[in-house]
Amino acid sequence: MSWFTKRRLSFIVIIALLAVVFVKSALTGSITVTPFELIQGLLTGTNDDVAIIKDLRFPRILIAVFAGAALSVAGVLLQAVMRNPLADPGIIGVSAGASFMSILLIAVFPTLFFFVPLFAFLGGALAFLLVYSLSWKSGLDPLRMILIGIAVNALFTGLSQAIGFSGGGLTQSMSQVTTSTLTMKKWSDVDVIVLYGSAGIILSFFVYKWCNYLALEDKTSKSLGVNVNLARFVIALIAVLLASVATAVAGMFAFVGLLVPHIGRTLVGNDHKVLIPFSALAGALLILLADTLGRVLIAPNEIPASIIVAVIGGPFLIFLLRKSDRIYGY
Amino acid sequence: MDINGVTFSYDKKLNTLHGVDGTIEPGKITTIIGPNGCGKSTLLGVLSNHHRPQKGEVVLDGKSLTEFKPKELAKRLAVVHQQNNAPSDMTVEKLTAYGRIPYKNLFSSSTKEDEEAVEWALASTNLLDKRKTPIDQLSGGQMQRVWIAMALTQKTPYLFLDEPTTYLDIYYQYELLELIRSLNKQHGITIVMVLHDINQAIQYSDTIIAMKDGKIAVSGAPAEIITADAINEIYGVQVIVKHDEQAGMYIVPVGI
Repeated sequence: MSWFTKRRLSFIVIIALLAVVFVKSALTGSITVTPFELIQGLLTGTNDDVAIIKDLRFPRILIAVFAGAALSVAGVLLQAVMRNPLADPGIIGVSAGASFMSILLIAVFPTLFFFVPLFAFLGGALAFLLVYSLSWKSGLDPLRMILIGIAVNALFTGLSQAIGFSGGGLTQSMSQVTTSTLTMKKWSDVDVIVLYGSAGIILSFFVYKWCNYLALEDKTSKSLGVNVNLARFVIALIAVLLASVATAVAGMFAFVGLLVPHIGRTLVGNDHKVLIPFSALAGALLILLADTLGRVLIAPNEIPASIIVAVIGGPFLIFLLRKSDRIYGY
Repeated sequence: MDINGVTFSYDKKLNTLHGVDGTIEPGKITTIIGPNGCGKSTLLGVLSNHHRPQKGEVVLDGKSLTEFKPKELAKRLAVVHQQNNAPSDMTVEKLTAYGRIPYKNLFSSSTKEDEEAVEWALASTNLLDKRKTPIDQLSGGQMQRVWIAMALTQKTPYLFLDEPTTYLDIYYQYELLELIRSLNKQHGITIVMVLHDINQAIQYSDTIIAMKDGKIAVSGAPAEIITADAINEIYGVQVIVKHDEQAGMYIVPVGI
């Protein structure tokens, strides 16, 4: 029974759960259809209920899936680059930077809405560079990095709020990038996150070996001929891309990039070859589940997915940490 | 390997090494000793291209170290550093296989040659029965052997070790030194290491480089250079140099 390892079992369970929640999420809500009606409607296009579901419910399902996967993989990659189990795009300011630049763009040039993903990426990269360069003092000290990250996060969050307060009429168009409810998502939003999200996730699979090498001391990797600086740069770039596009389309989700990789490490181990795909799946499941629950729990009102994530995720992370004293293998 | 007029400074003000000249003889065990802060680990760092000297150069196979591509150098020179880290759930075998990185790119998979190198390294370090063990279940001595196994997997003619016996109890210290000696004798690997213990250096080295204040104070065969005067000069410690039929030459510190 060696085939039936904890690692394989974890993958099977997570894929099954994702499929179940995906279907359940598509069928449940203010309009309810049967699975048969849904498939028939999608294929023939004659069912009006299904048409509404296709336009309103499917975009948010797909966005939830891709945002969850992107943020979780971004967390794994940042943790590898910074050699720090606490690195999370939401905590160290990457998401806040992405969000700030998007808001700034919309506030100053509302017509350039199309470039939001690009500006989000620039903002995320700026925040990351700030944290990385300011916390580098002949090596990355984990504590200093987190503290500087929190400061950078506070700075960009504050700047975003300042813009929000200064421009009264902007609030409407800005809500899309500042809040994390996944309502009112369109297929054009799906295109953005599917395109950049998949690109980032596929790229992250290509660099999994680098992520593994960075877990060694830098000196050791250098002795093995690894170009540590190049590896860090490329991995960080992919992480910033994933975190920024998720933030630009789905809004701020703190915590996912921290929580999901931790669960992944306990279940499938620290090898990035399995940790990256597992985190992508688990992150997709987490946000999709949170969004679906948020939709149905107090219908017709909604609880934002990020709030559900925090409420489920917080206790679960504490539970995992209490159970296992290994954090990131150190 | 030739060291030509190497000057190195961490902050560009205070020289940690100044004008170091010397030769590392192939096929021998060379040990660098000296008091704390004398620059011995720094010299090892320069010899393995971790520090680039401000002046002078280190020449390996007729080429300056700085001219080697990182992977090219990693096929000739392996280093076991003093501080090491790896995820705790990693197996001995996987970590050992990291020594093959210089021979691969990001996308290549494991070849027969890689597997043979890993087998040989695990066998040489007596770790074959531990290959599937996660590294957090190893003792300090076993862990140090894994790092050596990883370096061996690089299949280099040169092996550098920075204070390999630190933190180990005396049994594992000697187990490790015996292992290093057998790697040198059986496989002809050139060893350069930094040691703290002068008696271990005498016992296991063909050549000793003794450093003081960023310079080589003396270097040569242990029997020739280890004298009471030299030790007093370098460490400021009074010693008696003894010769024993069974133990060979050794020193006993008697005061300062």
